[in-house]
Amino acid sequence: MAEHILDQIRDVAEGQIDFEGQRLAELTVNLALSIVGAIAFFVGYFLQDIKLTVFVALGGTALTFLVVVPPWPFFNRNPVKWLPVGGGIPPQNLIMGDKAIR
Amino acid sequence: MYSSLVRLQNTFGFFTTVAFVVAAIIAASDLLAPRAPVVNTLEANNVQVATGRPHYYSNKKEEYASIRFTLDADLSSLFTWNTKQLFVYVTAEWPAAGSENATNQAVIWDTIITSPSADHLMNVGPATMKKLRKSAEGKSIDPSRGKISLKNQRPKYQITHPSGKLAEIDDVVLKLHYNVQPWVGALTWNQENLDVGLWKRLKGGVSEKFAFPAIKKKKEGGEKAKV
Amino acid sequence: MFSNVQPRQAAAQLLNFGLILSTAFMMWKGLSVITDSPSPIVVVLSGSMEPAFQRGDLLFLTNRNILQETDVGEIVVYNVKDKDIPIVHRIVRKFGSGAGAKFLTKGDNNVADDTELFPPGKAFLDRTDMIGSVVGYIPFVGYVTIMLSEHPWLKTVMLAIMGLVVVLQRE
Repeated sequence: MAEHILDQIRDVAEGQIDFEGQRLAELTVNLALSIVGAIAFFVGYFLQDIKLTVFVALGGTALTFLVVVPPWPFFNRNPVKWLPVGGGIPPQNLIMGDKAIR
Repeated sequence: MYSSLVRLQNTFGFFTTVAFVVAAIIAASDLLAPRAPVVNTLEANNVQVATGRPHYYSNKKEEYASIRFTLDADLSSLFTWNTKQLFVYVTAEWPAAGSENATNQAVIWDTIITSPSADHLMNVGPATMKKLRKSAEGKSIDPSRGKISLKNQRPKYQITHPSGKLAEIDDVVLKLHYNVQPWVGALTWNQENLDVGLWKRLKGGVSEKFAFPAIKKKKEGGEKAKV
Repeated sequence: MFSNVQPRQAAAQLLNFGLILSTAFMMWKGLSVITDSPSPIVVVLSGSMEPAFQRGDLLFLTNRNILQETDVGEIVVYNVKDKDIPIVHRIVRKFGSGAGAKFLTKGDNNVADDTELFPPGKAFLDRTDMIGSVVGYIPFVGYVTIMLSEHPWLKTVMLAIMGLVVVLQRE
């Protein structure tokens, strides 16, 4: 019973997303943080204010965390289609035993 | 990236990478900012040598020198977005006995000039802080702070020598130096005789030679009472 | 929970952990050799050099004099006997040159020079007392170490979080 409750807590804490979602999340992180870094630098450089760089960078990073870390629904739009348990069509051309050898 | 924890770790990992790259680019951007520091005037005005205990912890009487000086310098080109503070210091330098190249150097005066971005870090009273912040209100950098003009300035530090002797020494010069402290990156000092890229050497910055005079006799009580 | 961990997998994890540790150690020692300093990176622990350095800032040192001798105006890290904590202060006086040079230091934020910090009878520093001269600077990054050493309960909290993560994680 305890194991069952722990499993449920794990489900919530884990925040699983599907394979397409993982690809999307990785792309988002790399792209968003790179762009934030570039914007932060150029804003600071052209306005000659290093505090702006720090604020833009930290703000952008916080936003990225917010977008990527929780298991938002758009990361779970392509659930894995498992084959039915025990059912389905038995594979053809699979002959076990002596008969398989011609 | 399948679980929240892994996404948290990966995002933080990439954030540190980006932060270090941006920091490195900021540090490198210093090289694109031209520096052309100029010292218009640097001269010793009033040099005195006396015998006494220059510090409260001095355990023996020794000769010490006090040099008043005049300084007019424009270091405003040293202030960029990555400048945290400029440390400006004036040294007295004179040849050391014995070796040809050896010198003695002692700081007689220094000052810290912060960028507006670092004003809040200054260790000054609230009134001075208010004034300091107000002087650069709305500005992210304030090159005008790099203009220094001092007339017959009293030194901050008395000079001594380990031997206890200072009187009647020739070939003493005053030199102005600076140290640029960045927000991130390499610390830099003034180049004495070398241009590096856009950074020009410090123009001027060495006074004419002068001598430490003979020991001044202690003044009478009348003069002292005024102090 | 740990019963289904394969011995081969456990061994691989152990090796991986050892690799990370030894890589970090190698880099530290390599930097030590390059800079000729026993401690090429230090964290600022006091406010005596403010506003240049705050507590928690990271300093990169070099102990080599490739272009010129250690000079007045440089910020050096030195150790004096009977004190474990290295001190980061600026050189304000230098008498003589070469190995026999005598140095006096002072913190930018201090009123008096360091004579009082030196052991009795020692009025000046020698070049050999110094473990490096500051050449590079990164703000704030070292603050974690200060937090951990000043608030030991943070270590417990960190261990607790790690434990929770292990419990909540599935293979």
